[in-house]
Amino acid sequence: MIDTWYLYLFFSAALVLAGLLCLLTKRNLIRLFIGIMVIGKGLSLLLVATGFARANILLAQALVVTFIVVEVSLVAAALALIINIYRTTKSLDVRKLTRLKG
Amino acid sequence: MIVQTALLVGLVLFSVLAIVLRDLLKAAISLAVASVLLGIVFFRMNAPYAAVFEISVVAGLITVLFILTIALTNKAEEVEESRIVRWVFPLFFLAFIIIDALVMKGLLQKIPALPSAPEVGAFGDVLWKGRTMDLVGQIAVILAGVTAVLALFRKRDKHD
Repeated sequence: MIDTWYLYLFFSAALVLAGLLCLLTKRNLIRLFIGIMVIGKGLSLLLVATGFARANILLAQALVVTFIVVEVSLVAAALALIINIYRTTKSLDVRKLTRLKG
Repeated sequence: MIVQTALLVGLVLFSVLAIVLRDLLKAAISLAVASVLLGIVFFRMNAPYAAVFEISVVAGLITVLFILTIALTNKAEEVEESRIVRWVFPLFFLAFIIIDALVMKGLLQKIPALPSAPEVGAFGDVLWKGRTMDLVGQIAVILAGVTAVLALFRKRDKHD
């Protein structure tokens, strides 16, 4: 069982790193949010794979369902925030957010 | 096993495409394809409920929300990314993949094995009896999300 677990952990680590690199390097707000979604995919793969390897798949599924619901709520709030930022600054560049106006 | 590996390779490939592709609409669609592949992986790991949630909610609802946002912010393509990133991203990613392949197996053997008893019963038992507080928390999170969206899109007062 340890062999398959190793494979899943390998791929979920790759997903998490891809998302982190996206967060560190990109400037478009929607692109940054896609990076967060990729990290979320890696984490849910990790949860289900660990449950599968340890014969605790039901608990892992319950946790993943909770995680997905929280993720949807996060996405709705964050995309609303992005639309409001676009209306205020007329751009999706993160660097423009550093200019403060009193 | 080979099918599962191919699905996982496709998942990583489409996720990286979603980050790298310049067109945001194509990026959102490849994120949805990655979700569908992850759902199939879940199905093959005997986790049908997680798979159904992944395919219907993440690949369906979240993609619709993303496409809606991209349509509402139509100047989004004009953000210019830095030039170095085009080289840095694949370079770091490939380096990490190599290190990951070399190190992960050794790391995994160092994790102490926690005691875990095989589960009995159905998914419903575990979810409703063992995780009742999580369900209450989910309802609270959904309400908080709805309130946040309503607060962000409220109309301005006349005093402003």
